[in-house]
Amino acid sequence: MTVAADPLPVKRRMRVSRKALPYLLSLPALLVCIGILIPFFTAVWYSLQRYRLSQPWNRGMNWGENYIDFLTDPSFWNTLKVSLLYAGLTVTFQLILGLAIALLLQKRTRLNNLISIMLLMPLMTAPALAALMFKLMTNPNFGILSYFAQSIGFTDFRWGASPDTALFTVILVDIWVYTPFIMILLLAGLRSLPTQPFEAAALDGVPRFQQFWRITLPMLTPHILTASLFRLLESIQQFDIIYAMTQGGPGDTLMVFQVEAYLNFFQSTNVGRSAALLIILWAITFFLSNIFIKNWLRLRERARGGV
Amino acid sequence: MYDKEKGLIDAYRRGSMSRRSLLRALGALGMTTATASVLVNAAATRALAADFDWKKHSGTGIKLLLNKHPYTDAMIANLDNFKEMSGMEVAYDVFPEDVYFDKVTAALSSRSSEYDAFMTGAYMTWTYGPAGWIEDLNEWISDDSKTNPNYNWEDMLPGVRASCAWNGKPGAPLGTDGAKQWCIPWGYEQNNLTYNTAMMSKAGVDVPQNLEELVEAAAAVQAGNDGIYGIGVRGSRSWATIHPGFLSGYANFGQKDLNLSDDGKLSAAMNTDVSRDFHNHWVKMIQESGAADWSTHTWYQVGTDLGAGKSAMIYDADILGYFMNGGGNAMEGELAFAPFAANPAETLPTPNIWIWSLAMSSFSKNKDAAWTFLQWASGPEHGLFGAAEMDFVNPVRQSVWDDAGFRERLASSYPGYVEMHDLSAPGASIKFTPQPLFFDLTTDWAAMLQKMVAKEVPVDEGLDQLADNVNKQLKDAGLG
Amino acid sequence: MEHTSALERVLRGAALSAVVLFFMFPIFWIVLMSFQTNETILRSPPSMVFEPTLSNYVALITGRLETQAGSLDIDFMRNLMNSVILSVSSVALALVLGVPAAYAFARHKFRGSEDIAFTLLSFRFAPPLLVLLPLTLYFQQIGLADTYVGLVWVYQLICLPLILWIVRGYFEDISPDVEHAYRIAGHGWGATFMKIALPLAGPGIAAAGLLAFIFAWNNFIFALVLASADKQPVTVGALAFVTASGIQYGQIAAAVVLSIAPTLALALYAQRYLVEGLSLGAVKG
Repeated sequence: MTVAADPLPVKRRMRVSRKALPYLLSLPALLVCIGILIPFFTAVWYSLQRYRLSQPWNRGMNWGENYIDFLTDPSFWNTLKVSLLYAGLTVTFQLILGLAIALLLQKRTRLNNLISIMLLMPLMTAPALAALMFKLMTNPNFGILSYFAQSIGFTDFRWGASPDTALFTVILVDIWVYTPFIMILLLAGLRSLPTQPFEAAALDGVPRFQQFWRITLPMLTPHILTASLFRLLESIQQFDIIYAMTQGGPGDTLMVFQVEAYLNFFQSTNVGRSAALLIILWAITFFLSNIFIKNWLRLRERARGGV
Repeated sequence: MYDKEKGLIDAYRRGSMSRRSLLRALGALGMTTATASVLVNAAATRALAADFDWKKHSGTGIKLLLNKHPYTDAMIANLDNFKEMSGMEVAYDVFPEDVYFDKVTAALSSRSSEYDAFMTGAYMTWTYGPAGWIEDLNEWISDDSKTNPNYNWEDMLPGVRASCAWNGKPGAPLGTDGAKQWCIPWGYEQNNLTYNTAMMSKAGVDVPQNLEELVEAAAAVQAGNDGIYGIGVRGSRSWATIHPGFLSGYANFGQKDLNLSDDGKLSAAMNTDVSRDFHNHWVKMIQESGAADWSTHTWYQVGTDLGAGKSAMIYDADILGYFMNGGGNAMEGELAFAPFAANPAETLPTPNIWIWSLAMSSFSKNKDAAWTFLQWASGPEHGLFGAAEMDFVNPVRQSVWDDAGFRERLASSYPGYVEMHDLSAPGASIKFTPQPLFFDLTTDWAAMLQKMVAKEVPVDEGLDQLADNVNKQLKDAGLG
Repeated sequence: MEHTSALERVLRGAALSAVVLFFMFPIFWIVLMSFQTNETILRSPPSMVFEPTLSNYVALITGRLETQAGSLDIDFMRNLMNSVILSVSSVALALVLGVPAAYAFARHKFRGSEDIAFTLLSFRFAPPLLVLLPLTLYFQQIGLADTYVGLVWVYQLICLPLILWIVRGYFEDISPDVEHAYRIAGHGWGATFMKIALPLAGPGIAAAGLLAFIFAWNNFIFALVLASADKQPVTVGALAFVTASGIQYGQIAAAVVLSIAPTLALALYAQRYLVEGLSLGAVKG
């Protein structure tokens, strides 16, 4: 796989810059992002401190204590559980739904193209505002969705207000906002698949259902991985929707990482704990992304090797 | 430009014309009441300028950080008068209430010198003060060369004024000697009952006089009307759920959030028998006659439901009821007000209060100029203008409450409001123990209430859990 | 693909209708609300019968809200302008930085290339709060607080990784043969990149740019923490209708509609790029 190997004889001047070229191309992007790294390390340093803005006299290094405290803190384990559950459920549902919609829209027709653009509208609604609107739509008195729920027999369905249904409600909003993102990436992937394997399979009389499992899905996997990766990163860091709908309640039902860290910083001004929570969140995302990227690279190598 | 008008207004100020006939005369000149009032205030401002050098900081500018609020609207409507009098430039950033305090924390914690003064609540100064972000305003109030002789600091309601001062020692009472004046009260809220008169009479329910009666009345009024619920109280997972009706009623039973030991240690005080009983009543009331989506209810939902005729009563801020009785609401003019003492053994209410206040940033580069603005904005003239012409209620100055025009206006459109205020004002103050973990502990308290109402945990057990958790946090922070 | 049965067509139609209903109904309802006053929105049961009013849009566009307490200024149009400025500049910068880098990763396997690519992607892993909180202090010190430049820089956290990753995949899927042929004809590297690679990848770049634009447009927290009121985007601006004296749902709904409009217009204009762009279209190898 040496795409870069240039078969041409090139001038000497070119040879020198050719080695440096890829670095020159990627360096500006890297440099712009390096600035962001400094605050990152500052946050690591904060996370190793006992640091509350409201008690400046108490500030001092406590090394790993913020982290060690998490081990025995039930609210931390709850946060971890809820965050993973939320991310797992939203990404799973959105993948299934997004893939199904993409399959429905696969054919290149004017109508399908128009629908696919229309379906992007939820994605264009800022999640913070979408949550506000859903909060009104699920209001037991004035809400249209509550009205629908009542008219089909769910007379006491309490949406975000009950611990039993709160997770369902925020996941529903998340699905509404973000499924279009997965849909559009997978639709693009589907339409870019080469036609030969399908024609060959059709000639061999392979049923369409099996074509999907044997050809479509494997060939689509890199696209699915990309879409899931971006969605997973966002979902495990979910803030806007949950904060606007329930502020993490009722009780501790929806205390995900960013909501907890946000409250820790902005309300309790407990900088040390807030930073430690976010570092753990970062570590989880880093770990998950690594798995994704490794698989993605492997699949792409294989796919390109096959062409 | 306004010669004719100025003549009329000066006649009014000399006392040769009543306010009403002045406004009528100005109206004849094609002026709206609001514009006329601003002009009247301009005359008052001219009079103000006579005794004090307001122009000392002329030519300089300050910037304010403000919350989107009727108080802010009233101040902005009158701001030109201040600019003219002082020769100062005043810029301001207004942020939505939902994100306002996060913006304040972000600005102050980054030590930004952008804002010279800002709106705050007294609870927040328990963080800002010890963090070194805001100034002790005593330094300016007590300096005659910096404060105008008519400022009349003593005119501020004593309980409210004291609630904005703290010596910074965790658990020490508010407003004691040596306390620092972290902020100046601007407008404040007491927590009492606002009720829908039509719904109450339809169900044949009298205004409840104590907690026991409130629980029953809420259930009865809900049963006696279609498609409504009995009582609106806040329930979101936030400190804001604890501070209005809930803490006001709780304090009426002599209960406290925290105990302070002789050696200065704090510990949880919410697992007493009286407290258990109070919590049991409260939780039962919400389960039986609260909103179905109580656990998401903030100020907005409590108000919206009352204003739209979906709830019969609220036990919340008096001015929330005040706003919902105003224009644009379905229940405009249908609401009435009553003082509420939750404890049957008490005759007078002891409302916990919320105080919108003004504070000065320690990072300001122009503090004296900022004080020039603060003393005008919290002064008696602007207070009267805002209260009489705009929705700048409740005023924090006795002189405004003594103003016959203001009382008359309130009494005519807001039945029971003035009496309610006068009855509860003596017992009104902040009932929380000031300490730096205020937001942690109240948020945990609200989360526990949510669990109790959802029947995830029995009240008694929940209170014990809460107390343990509070004690642990106090210990971790070196306070318990 | 051609021999679909009638039953299948009916089922597909039904499924598609359900999907459209699920995703479009809330939008439809928001549009309805934007033509109502609070009084008709807050009715129970909710109803579709109402007298439409343009007052919400008038208030937003003229910047004056008439209430019984007098008229209030609304900065919504400036918020909208800020959203445009921030999103367009951020995406433009991300494209200028990200596309060449993506090309480098796709075409040149150089030492550390995967590591650099991963590092760039990893900026997306950092929880926004984690970076934001210390950043407020540094921005204050270096004078970037409350500037568009500072904001656009932070917005790269959202835009750059997305563009980089999608465009990289796109370049990799384009066969390098055309570029090779062009270079054999004696053209330099720069000309090949500008004249061949970029146009071929055009639809992919456009689509990635649009997605990045949407995410930048929807951002809420960066400007709130880092900038003053005159630089806030619509997402913060729309919350101004949540006021102490009530939530103005009609105006929030109108604000949502107005804030979707520019992105939707862009998406409709770029329609053929959007879906085709993320796929490979004609140039499949």
